[in-house]
Amino acid sequence: MKLVALIKKEFHRFFHDPRLIVTILLPGILIFLIYTLIGTVVNTQEKYEYKVYVAGESVLTQAIEKAVEASGSTVEWIPADPEEGRNAVEKESATAFLAFSENFDETFLGGSVEIWRGSTEESLSFYNLAVAVLQEGAMRFAILSHSFETEQDFAKTFIAGLLPFLVVTFVFSACMSVTLESVAGEKERGTLSTILATSVKRSHIALGKIIPLSCISAIGAASSFLGVVLSLPKLMGTDLSVLGGYGFGSYVILFCLILSFVPFIVSAIGAVSTLSRSVKEASGYTSVVMILVMLMSIVSMVVTQFGDWVIAVPVLNAVIYMGKLLGGELPLWQSLVSVGVNLLYTGLLVWLISKMLSSERIMFGK
Amino acid sequence: MEDLFTNEIVRAENLKKTFTLSRKQQRLEKTAQTRKVAVDGLSFSANRGEIYGLLGPNGAGKTTTLRMLSTLIRPDEGDAYIMGHSVRKEPQKVRDCVGFLTGELKLETFFTPDYLFDFFGAMHGVEREALAVRKHELFSRFGIDAFSQVKVGDLSTGMKQKVSLVISIVHDPDVVIFDEPTNGLDVLTAKVVTDFLAELKRMGKSVLLSTHIFSLVEKLCDRVGIIIDGKMAEEGSLAAVCGERSLEEKFFELYRGIKGEIV
Ligand SMILES: Nc1ncnc2c1ncn2[C@@H]1O[C@H](COP(=O)(O)OP(=O)(O)OP(=O)(O)O)[C@@H](O)[C@H]1O
Ligand SMILES: [Mg+2]
Repeated sequence: MKLVALIKKEFHRFFHDPRLIVTILLPGILIFLIYTLIGTVVNTQEKYEYKVYVAGESVLTQAIEKAVEASGSTVEWIPADPEEGRNAVEKESATAFLAFSENFDETFLGGSVEIWRGSTEESLSFYNLAVAVLQEGAMRFAILSHSFETEQDFAKTFIAGLLPFLVVTFVFSACMSVTLESVAGEKERGTLSTILATSVKRSHIALGKIIPLSCISAIGAASSFLGVVLSLPKLMGTDLSVLGGYGFGSYVILFCLILSFVPFIVSAIGAVSTLSRSVKEASGYTSVVMILVMLMSIVSMVVTQFGDWVIAVPVLNAVIYMGKLLGGELPLWQSLVSVGVNLLYTGLLVWLISKMLSSERIMFGK
Repeated sequence: MEDLFTNEIVRAENLKKTFTLSRKQQRLEKTAQTRKVAVDGLSFSANRGEIYGLLGPNGAGKTTTLRMLSTLIRPDEGDAYIMGHSVRKEPQKVRDCVGFLTGELKLETFFTPDYLFDFFGAMHGVEREALAVRKHELFSRFGIDAFSQVKVGDLSTGMKQKVSLVISIVHDPDVVIFDEPTNGLDVLTAKVVTDFLAELKRMGKSVLLSTHIFSLVEKLCDRVGIIIDGKMAEEGSLAAVCGERSLEEKFFELYRGIKGEIV
């Protein structure tokens, strides 16, 4: 009952203050606006003159040509043998190279078409058009695509790798803006003492902060995350294949991973805030923690091989397995253990906070 | 003569509290010492259904004593018992039977008196219906009705003090501990508060208050303890402490005896 009242108070405080709601939702809105703006500037529909090498023959080239013309570009078909075609694409003297298997149109069923593309925007846009057309018949023949795309060329792979880092950063800043204000703020203003003077259990006071603040932070993190996801297609000019094509299960695990480190970060900042005398002091310490967490997730982007011990490191475990998930793997049990580990640490921190609330030196020391 | 049948509801035994001073505090207090003895072996007792006044000059250790009694801080030495519960060993039980009012305990400025009353009622585990009745009673008595839906941050000092007072006794405690309850109040509001204290006494509650206002003690209190420099200079029923003199004369006499001439 007392715990419920404490939780309700925290939610009431938040949802009845338009300023706080704006603070928590603003990052997501800003990210969406900024990314979309950049996307519109960068991706204004370009008109290309594609030069495509073809080996073999098919009526499908005419269908592709129609689609190309519809997009406002033009295409020049140049017959070539496979060797020549591949080299031209690699050296970027050709937009792409299409290789139809022998007697493609007649042997529709068993035939295949290979596409080679380069790393330029032009090459990618042709590739997307061609694949879209070919896919109509894809049930009946195989498409084998090859890419000379190099990593640094494409922001897409970069951002896919960056996503865990972005998520951690957004979650952290969301947690920070609510927790500092609510925990360090209440301590500094002397309103926490009023609650301490009542007989409510110190562990309930701790939980009464961490539970609602985690929920609110999760809302903020979700807003930032949505901001990225919704604006990425505009920024990339294409659908973000990294986020498509995953099963429902992957999304659930991704979501659980994110949700497991929100309460951990909230209680870590909560503990630091309980120790501090003022919001200013607390935000000083918290920035140090933030830098640590960000460094950790940057390291996880660069270093790809981690031992299984990462599972015991809060936040880092979530970052690593999120990266794996986005890379197409499904580290099911590792993710579940990570969620458990993060919640365990959270429990530990809540216990620590309730001990601190009982300490006169921490609560009332000047 | 003291009534032999009143029982002890608050008993402080040799309470001692020493604070460690920070650099900043040392500078403010103009001292090189790193420790400050705020309360130095204080003992006294207050009886059920009476008003006990702790009287002392600024910095005497009144607030520190009351903070120990209400379990906000722990005594370094000694112990105190509220309705038989030790403040050291059973702080939760003490908190349930005590209502504490002091300037240190602030109310969140964002909320309304109405919301906070319900919230602190819940913190003390007061039943919903009982809480509604009590709110109606106390809010109309202190004229809080008029601003019960206004955020605390938008209230005047006096209004805030009234709200703090009412919330400190939301759970209808048997022992009421008020630290300078009339501080910052005009004569009208101060009278509402002192009348209320007298009524609490009539209802059989025990009141412990601190003040440096002699007239307040003379008007209200059954017993008085005079604290100077963290020590109990004199304690007893008002008549026994004062004798033939006024409380003020008695105080200056004690003060001169301890500190020499008044600067
Ligand atoms: N947290 C603290 N740290 C250091 N010194 C303190 C602390 N709290 C109180 N003191 C010191 O202890 C002494 C007693 O303070 P206290 O607040 O109990 O006095 P008081 O009798 O309530 O005075 P006033 O009438 O001014 O309210 C003072 O010298 C004060 O400076
Ligand atoms: Mg005081």
